[in-house]
Amino acid sequence: MSAHETVIIPKKELPANIVTLGWGLTIVGLALVAVSYLTDSHRAAFNNIIGFTFLASIAVGAVFYIALEYIAGAVWTTPFRRVIEFLGMLLIPVAVLSIPLFLNLHDLFHWSHTDVVAKDAILTNKSPYLNEQSFTIRFIIYIVVWGLFYFIFRRNSLKQDVSNDQKLTKKNIALAAAFIPALAISISLFSIDWLMSLEPHWFSTMFGVYYFTGTILTSLCVITYFVVVLSEKGFFFKGVNENHYYSFGALMFGLLSFWAYIAFSQFMLIWYANLPEETFWYIARWENGWEYVSIAIVLLHFWIPYFMLVSRPSKMKPSNLKRSAALLIFAHFLDLYWLVMPTYSKTPVFSYYELAFPMLSIGLIIVLFAIQAKKYNIVPVGDPKLQRGIDFHL
Amino acid sequence: MSSTVLDYSKEIPVIEGVPTAASLDEAIVKPINDFPQRNWFIGLAITGTMLGIGGISLAWLLWKGVGIWGINQPVAWGFDVVNFVFWVGIGHAGTLISAILFLLRQKWRTGIARFAEAMTLFAVLCAVQFVIFHTGRPWLAMAWLFPYPNQHGVWVNFTSPLEWDVFAVNTYFTVSAVFWYIGLIPDFASLRDRATTTIKKTTFAVLSLGWRFSNRHWQHYERAYLIMAGFATPLVLSVHTIVSFDFAVSVLPGWHTTIFPPYFVAGAIFSGFAMVQNVLIVTRKAFKFEHLITMDTIEKMNKIMLVTGTMVGYAYIMEFFIAWYSGNATELFVFINRATGPYWWAYWTMMTCNLVAPQLFWSKKIRTSLLASFILAIFVNIGMWFERFVIIVTSLHRDFLPSSWGMFIPTMWDFGLLIGSFGLFFTLVLLFVKFLPAIAMAEIKAVVPGAQPSHPSHNGNGTSH
Amino acid sequence: MEKKLYSINAIYHTPNDILHAAKAVKDAGYTKFDVHTPYPIHGLDDAMGLKETKLGFVTLAAGILGAVGMISFASWVAVKDYPQVIGGKPYWSWPAFVPVTYEIAVLLAVLGTVGGMIVFFFKFPNTSHPLHDTTFMKKVSSDKFGITIQAEDAQFDEKKVRDLLKTTGGEVEAIYYSDEFLNFKPNTFDPKFILLLVGISLATSAGGYLYWNKVLYLPPFDWMVEQPRFDVQSATDYFEDGRTMRLPVEGSVARGFIPYPYKLGVNADSVGRFLVNPLLNTKATLDLGKRKFLTYCSPCHGNFGNGDSRMNGQFPNPPTLHSDKVRLWPDGAIFHTMTVGQNVMPGYQYQISREERWAVVKYIRTLQRAYNAKESDLQ
Repeated sequence: MSAHETVIIPKKELPANIVTLGWGLTIVGLALVAVSYLTDSHRAAFNNIIGFTFLASIAVGAVFYIALEYIAGAVWTTPFRRVIEFLGMLLIPVAVLSIPLFLNLHDLFHWSHTDVVAKDAILTNKSPYLNEQSFTIRFIIYIVVWGLFYFIFRRNSLKQDVSNDQKLTKKNIALAAAFIPALAISISLFSIDWLMSLEPHWFSTMFGVYYFTGTILTSLCVITYFVVVLSEKGFFFKGVNENHYYSFGALMFGLLSFWAYIAFSQFMLIWYANLPEETFWYIARWENGWEYVSIAIVLLHFWIPYFMLVSRPSKMKPSNLKRSAALLIFAHFLDLYWLVMPTYSKTPVFSYYELAFPMLSIGLIIVLFAIQAKKYNIVPVGDPKLQRGIDFHL
Repeated sequence: MSSTVLDYSKEIPVIEGVPTAASLDEAIVKPINDFPQRNWFIGLAITGTMLGIGGISLAWLLWKGVGIWGINQPVAWGFDVVNFVFWVGIGHAGTLISAILFLLRQKWRTGIARFAEAMTLFAVLCAVQFVIFHTGRPWLAMAWLFPYPNQHGVWVNFTSPLEWDVFAVNTYFTVSAVFWYIGLIPDFASLRDRATTTIKKTTFAVLSLGWRFSNRHWQHYERAYLIMAGFATPLVLSVHTIVSFDFAVSVLPGWHTTIFPPYFVAGAIFSGFAMVQNVLIVTRKAFKFEHLITMDTIEKMNKIMLVTGTMVGYAYIMEFFIAWYSGNATELFVFINRATGPYWWAYWTMMTCNLVAPQLFWSKKIRTSLLASFILAIFVNIGMWFERFVIIVTSLHRDFLPSSWGMFIPTMWDFGLLIGSFGLFFTLVLLFVKFLPAIAMAEIKAVVPGAQPSHPSHNGNGTSH
Repeated sequence: MEKKLYSINAIYHTPNDILHAAKAVKDAGYTKFDVHTPYPIHGLDDAMGLKETKLGFVTLAAGILGAVGMISFASWVAVKDYPQVIGGKPYWSWPAFVPVTYEIAVLLAVLGTVGGMIVFFFKFPNTSHPLHDTTFMKKVSSDKFGITIQAEDAQFDEKKVRDLLKTTGGEVEAIYYSDEFLNFKPNTFDPKFILLLVGISLATSAGGYLYWNKVLYLPPFDWMVEQPRFDVQSATDYFEDGRTMRLPVEGSVARGFIPYPYKLGVNADSVGRFLVNPLLNTKATLDLGKRKFLTYCSPCHGNFGNGDSRMNGQFPNPPTLHSDKVRLWPDGAIFHTMTVGQNVMPGYQYQISREERWAVVKYIRTLQRAYNAKESDLQ
């Protein structure tokens, strides 16, 4: 029995108003980015890092979920895997957004000034790792590795729509096994390169795990948001039920608890040991108004969504899932802002500079999704696990 | 490659064949009712001897004090804390299998969950004895460990990681025991109804609390199980996290590193799965549970070991990298000293057993070979024991001042207690498989094909005949 | 013994059958019925029309109680009852209380859930139910599925119930019980039971007493009590003089020690001329002097040096310090008297340090001036 006949997809194109909104946000966002680069390229570059790492979170998280589904043999995500595959396409804007960053590297990274490094023993010690050349090479490697794996996953999955060939699943499983260790190393180094080295003296072994947890949580929230909106509005297939919703909600709940665990452990160990070479990073985030941002993150990234999702019925309610997902996406953006901006300014700053990249990011997510949804099947119709995924119940 | 493509549109069955519920009961209850095999007695003799060695070492320890161990300044934590961390880690697999895999709806856990939970309890017992006896005068330990109102007006220090340990390990043991017991209640009721002698019948009737298999009870029971799994999951993380805090809140190079919490948890799961794997393979063979604990289960366990082993390897490398990246000379010294100093053999044993050995599981052939799985699991256990040895001893033996440097050389009593803890663990395991159902009867019956009503609204779903 | 009907039961062989039967019984309007299955069956709760369990609220309440209780307790200990500076951190170091708080919250939540479920939801332990020890129970505990419709149901009618269960395809049977069996209640005030409780409490107390007061002082637990060392002030055979404590080597001088050259009996006035008070009239000096004066001098000389303490009349009366003799003495003479003593007054050089004695002199001078204040002092 092929899944072709059982899955009926009523509509597959996104509604016109959402697409228009996406294009609008993209264009306005682009214009604002251009204006901010022209007026204050220093500040724009810092905001660029936030937008860049935010999109990287979603894109890399999406590739991670594709791999995870294959390697864990999960079935409940199979009907939604195309949504995830569409989101992986954000790797292209990630690569593009890195170009202005490379042009403004000296504004961003203290260690890129060779004269400063020469006077600083610690930075000299790090210079074999933190120098422009190896930094650039590493970034190219990350993008190529992620892109390559993503491209093959996606190609196999799309091919399966037509051929129903189970061997393609087997191939992707093998690929996923290779991808996950590669991802673990690349995403850790990526976060060290782009976020941790903004304060080149600071270090924490946990940092890669911290960023990675935020990554997969955000990516999951975007996926959930799309899945819920599409099924609610009837732009998807029928058969999405509370078992699926519950799984999304439970995973979201688990990951946000895990994020809190990682964030608290990192803070606690540094607070407790009280070594000045580590604490200055937290002190900078607990002064001059940054303490309010810190408290906001604790609330928005953990406590509020925690209680929004703690009960069993709340994990199944689509409207609640949408709200929590939106909140967590915003919280991750705030988290990145909190990681990046204290290097730029001693006090929290907010104006249209800070709005440019979020608008562009949201616009790009919608536009890229819409373009692909129009072109490809929105459900992996040839996947052998599809029927099991649709029938999934707890 | 093409010849062995699985059919991904079908669920892999949890147990082989389509046994009836009655025959499942029969198979699980058989070891309890039959007179034990000769091999069981041989096994008990061996573990009993080991336990005896531990008992003698313990008696001598109590008589003489901790001076009989090899510990001294600067290495004041030796085998005692190594063994404690090792055994607590072993315990984590049980809760992981019973709780986390339950939340993730991994049905293959059914065959091994009971077993793994029992091993959790036994491992935590083994761990607890070391923390109790390493206090020196354990008969007074209650006064230092628990906050209770006393005539001195003194309270314990709630900001101390060692005090957190007391809370974490006690909570963990209690919750694991409750979780295990709750799972056993329906099985006790089954045994009660199958019992042939009055003694057995009375015992099981009391233990089952009067369970009647009523659906009005099952309803709450299932929810309670879900809630407990939901609590046990973060609990299992928190316990080894707190154990890692014992080290990581200090300012000692090699101990103070922020990745310790998740790294310790991954290591704990890693070692625990290896221990479960070892015991599982033997039990499966001895009691002929091949159709209940399938090769697929064993393969999945191996895969988890591969994943967690690689995670641990990631932490080793990340620690080393950041030690260099931080630009902290003492930090880097500790790591280089681990690899090239006087304890280099411990470091490389750890690296070989934990990082290299599990990589063999990439091969499906090795993953599905019982012998290879068994041997590699032993390697992992050795490696994880050495990991704790490396973390504790090598970080301590080179103090900040070279004049305070020293070495740790274990004495025969250190080894005696280590052997004794293994004796205790395996003795309890042997008694468990003889006197209690080693596989959860009520749970395994629920996952047999045809055990659940077929859903008219969904077609297929792998449960219809 | 009279037997009463407890319920009419039916046994089914497949999960599908039990699901349909449960639905049929619910639809027929019965409320006091139950389904017994060897393992939980999906969808049975809906078929029976059971409401969502409330167990989650018990968990939530117990968990919050644990969390709030533990963090309050730890805070109270750390801030109020037993404040200690640990690691240079503030008393209320909340991040360090998170682990214990978390553990206790989990502990209480789990114990609350399980305890609540067993005691309040299940009314367990209960091993005297009519269904126990029946063939029905033996079947459903192994591989069959059963329904019981209880006789106490409002619309119970034996024939109708039997018909209903038969139409759903079950093998029908009935369960009887005797009142005596079910109504058995243990007597709390049974003398034997009370005696048992008394026995347990006595044994516990005796055990506790023996453990804490006797066992802990037996070998090997007493190894810290019996220590191979010499105690201060005790006798020994080891040294010739039979004393544990050793005298310093002859002629050795303690660090910072300044010898006092004048002996008792030397004229205070004449000695005083050679000694000069090294201290300045500062508030700190006077405070120190006052403290020492009130500790060592006032018991005899009185709080203001008038010689009017309660020693008066019981003793050779201590002299006033406001006499002309003392007022006209140089500082050194007072210092000398304090150091070596006079008449029945002992020397205080071992109780009050050199510097403190000079501070006391300053304080006595202040008192003297206060008692003989001039007009100019008041301005």
